[in-house]
Amino acid sequence: MFNAMGYQLRVIWACAKKDFKAALTDRLFTVLSLFVPVNLLILMSLFVLAGGNAPTAVVMEDQGPYAQAFYQAMSQAHSFRLQITSAVEAERLITAGQIVAVVTIPSDFDAQVKQNQPVQVGVQINNLNTDFTNDIRRAIPLSITSFYAKAFPNLVNVSVQENDLYAHDTDYIPYLGVSILVIALMMGGLLQSGTAAAKEWENQTMKELLLSPASRWAIMTGKMLGAFLMSLGSTIIVLLVLILIVGVRPENWGEVLGFSVLSLVIFNTVGTLLGTVIKTRQPVIALSTGISLPLFFLSGAFAPISFTTPLLQVIARIFPVYYQIVVFQHAFHGFALNTYSLGGNTLILVGYAMALLLLVTVALQRATVSH
Amino acid sequence: MTNSKVASIEMVHLVKRFGNFTAVDDLSLTVEPGEIFGLLGPNGSGKTTTVNMISGLSAPTSGQVRVMGHDLRTQTRQVRQILGSVPQETALYEELSAWTNLDFHADLFGIPSREKKARIESMLDLVGLTDRKDSPVGTFSGGMKRRLALARALLHNPQLVYLDEPTLGVDVQSRRAIWDYILALRQQGMTVLITTNYLEEAQELCNRIAIIDHGRLVALDTPEDLKQQFGGSVVEIETVESFGMLAELRALPGIKDVKLEDRFLKVTTESGTNVVPQVINLASQCCEIRDINIREPNLDEVFLHLTGTALRD
Repeated sequence: MFNAMGYQLRVIWACAKKDFKAALTDRLFTVLSLFVPVNLLILMSLFVLAGGNAPTAVVMEDQGPYAQAFYQAMSQAHSFRLQITSAVEAERLITAGQIVAVVTIPSDFDAQVKQNQPVQVGVQINNLNTDFTNDIRRAIPLSITSFYAKAFPNLVNVSVQENDLYAHDTDYIPYLGVSILVIALMMGGLLQSGTAAAKEWENQTMKELLLSPASRWAIMTGKMLGAFLMSLGSTIIVLLVLILIVGVRPENWGEVLGFSVLSLVIFNTVGTLLGTVIKTRQPVIALSTGISLPLFFLSGAFAPISFTTPLLQVIARIFPVYYQIVVFQHAFHGFALNTYSLGGNTLILVGYAMALLLLVTVALQRATVSH
Repeated sequence: MTNSKVASIEMVHLVKRFGNFTAVDDLSLTVEPGEIFGLLGPNGSGKTTTVNMISGLSAPTSGQVRVMGHDLRTQTRQVRQILGSVPQETALYEELSAWTNLDFHADLFGIPSREKKARIESMLDLVGLTDRKDSPVGTFSGGMKRRLALARALLHNPQLVYLDEPTLGVDVQSRRAIWDYILALRQQGMTVLITTNYLEEAQELCNRIAIIDHGRLVALDTPEDLKQQFGGSVVEIETVESFGMLAELRALPGIKDVKLEDRFLKVTTESGTNVVPQVINLASQCCEIRDINIREPNLDEVFLHLTGTALRD
């Protein structure tokens, strides 16, 4: 019994070692698969940064205290990237397409406010992109309200009493970065295991494996272990970028490690299944990247899925990626994004892992090199 | 090591169907221990399907296969442990070195770790690849790959070795070397099963040959006896003018087959007869003879006669 188990363990390790060595010989693919998730992190961060604050010129025709207070209110609105310019320079910038809007604080601003008279703040908008245009349209009235609340506290009777669910705010990129860690696990896991499995069929080396007395589950486990070791590479790279560059630190390291292993098991199993069924690398690579991105966007990468439509919520819950984002957001930020509790989400993921392992075992059992 | 009373391979009423297509149709044959056995047949004749069933890669629809007494349905692993395979495509990991390929195979077949290094060295030495042990297999020639695949198949000391087209695509020098390795296996008491498209190879190596066509066994014998069954002698005569006494020639007792193409006459006689002088006599009466060649039939002719197609068609 011990010898039989020892033999199977030796087969597992031999398959893992062989796949690891083989993967390292394909340097271009290895480098690409390691850095694709980091690329995605950079891409998404640029996307978020680009769409964050609208570049806006402010023409201060009045330098009075109320005009200054209004400018302060705008700068605290989290919607503008402000620069004070002359009217001529502002016109040049908006014509050149370098800014979204020009806000002109008129020369009689202070006088009119003091006399409780109407005053018009001029807003010129470059409306080529409604996303930015609408940001400006929402933010200017908010700045006016904010200005009045501070300048005339007795005049504005309605105020906000904010109660935060969590002890600290979380910026968009730290939130998104954690979701990108999940896609790093997904792409790394799918690509490494999928190509490793498909390659055996494509190069017809599967015969060497199937003609050996080793059990198919040992071969499969070994191959997944090899892919797991390779996938860990991209996971570690994204983790380092997240921690050292983005500045996101996990609240619970144990959860990060545990869920990383569990997620890689799931993705390596899916990849092995794809490789075993499809048997050629090109479609496996196309499918792995093709399904990763939609699942990433669908599964609450940018915000909890409860913020989306009911139909999308139902679809998202079908896939493990949603639960993985939930548990990783908990591991990094302590968020509870659904009502299943951490244990419940973990159990669902373990269920996915076991069902997929069963599926891949059946697929390999049925697979044959003969016609 | 080998129990000489047990057949190396025993196929009994073996059938394999894929839907409505019958790839192997009631095939029964026995491969004896220590022989080199050739399995021949045109493309699509059922050779590969048969071999896949022998190695346990494919389950028969009905019938039974026993390898060294082990029933393949219930003892697949035992069979794989005693079977060494050299697939046509070699199934080597081209990005890995020769040593790593053998090392991986040793682990897959559970060769004891303390013996592994010595066995790999010995096999590399046997096939003359010791100096290339650290080179990636992708840099090897076709012949070197075949030799390495053979070394790998022998690494776990199998009792039965299966070689699928062992010299396909290799140069003449490598072919001779591979033949020598295969003949040496027989001397060591191993049973060797070969599928080949080279009848010359089958003639040179095999103790017995089975020819299958459309999944059925059409002939099974030694190469010599197969040729004898086909005919006694083949007389090839080239004449100056066209031969005009075909009817008389065919009427001679002991004539099996006559073919005439332009000025080239090919006559096959039945075995056990001595009609060759009469054939030459008749030809010389009819026309002036430019060239005469008398030989025994070759396997190509046997194969063509039995299957109606050349082996490479």
